[in-house]
Amino acid sequence: MGIADPRDPRQIRDLTSALRTPSNVEVQKALEAEEDHIPGVTVTTLDKVLNFGSTVSYWPLLFGLACCAFEMMAMAGPRWDISRFGMEAMRASPRQADGMIISGWVSIKMAPRVIRLYEQIPDPKWVVVMGSCATSGNIWNTYNVVQGIDALLPVDVYIPGCPPRPEALWQGLEMIRRRIREGRHGYDNMRTIPVRAALGE
Amino acid sequence: MAAAKNIDELSPAHKQVASHLQGKFGKRLLETSSFRGDLTYVVSPQDWLEVLTYCRDAEELRFDRLDSLLGNHFPEREDQPFEVIAHLVSIPHTTRIRIKTRLAEGETLPTVTGVWPSASFDERETWEMFGVVFEGHPNLTRLLTVPDFDGYPLRKDFPLQGRVGGRIRWNFKGEI
Ligand code: SF4
Repeated sequence: MGIADPRDPRQIRDLTSALRTPSNVEVQKALEAEEDHIPGVTVTTLDKVLNFGSTVSYWPLLFGLACCAFEMMAMAGPRWDISRFGMEAMRASPRQADGMIISGWVSIKMAPRVIRLYEQIPDPKWVVVMGSCATSGNIWNTYNVVQGIDALLPVDVYIPGCPPRPEALWQGLEMIRRRIREGRHGYDNMRTIPVRAALGE
Repeated sequence: MAAAKNIDELSPAHKQVASHLQGKFGKRLLETSSFRGDLTYVVSPQDWLEVLTYCRDAEELRFDRLDSLLGNHFPEREDQPFEVIAHLVSIPHTTRIRIKTRLAEGETLPTVTGVWPSASFDERETWEMFGVVFEGHPNLTRLLTVPDFDGYPLRKDFPLQGRVGGRIRWNFKGEI
């Protein structure tokens, strides 16, 4: 079965393959070379579907450290309302969270707990560092404050400010959503996460 | 127009507290002052426990709540650089009072955890920040800094900058 193309009568297009159900092998090939189009099949990868799902359900860990945490709470409240983006379900258990917002300064006594919480979050995970303190220690160059949490954990997004406005946190979370869609993580190019290197593992 | 109230004047309840304490302890109250209607007494370290216990137990005083207990450091006072201050509140009489004592370097103070159990955390903090030892405290361990911290951070001669003394404990098994 074939019909003549009106624009070029010499070319005969065979539409038989388009009208039958593609075989498994063809579907597999089409998935490998994404540009190939098979009618009736939307070609995507499982990763892309999952990443799309994650962008609209990024659940941060319910975890506030210092004064910045109040802006995070404002962000979760009705005025800025991150539930519009499916982020309102802040999980109190790291096992159910997709990442953490480190909101405030980390004291040296608190640092092992922060690391433990980070390690308990299942992969893939995205970390937002909120405020100058968690980024660099801010003005607290003192005996009890970790000078930047990126010495210990891989970080995805830094939000400057003391404290950052909820809009700034919102923008940071938008950047996280973009990274989720693209499937990029803070630990992508790291051979080991910094704290493990420091531990000598 | 009514005359403005003198905010430094003691209320009648506080006047009663002052006269009662002065009648009881007399010369053992080394200094007295009042600021904005709050009384302050300085006692010697030997009288510390006795005065505080009396403040809680006497019917006319009834300071049943220890608001806070804290330390202070005055390096310019050569012989007695440390101060320990107790803020007391009486809920039945709605009065408050401050009792202070002055300590030399290395001098110890009896614990008041037997009088108010809530003094435990305050005394641990005062010890870790100023190095004032409270004798008889049931658990005098570090509260806010890491257990192997070196130095007393709220002393005036402690360096303001830099990570002196502390370090991140990696091995925290059994610490949480
Ligand atoms: S950045 Fe500012 S608001 Fe945020 S934790 Fe530090 S001091 Fe507090």
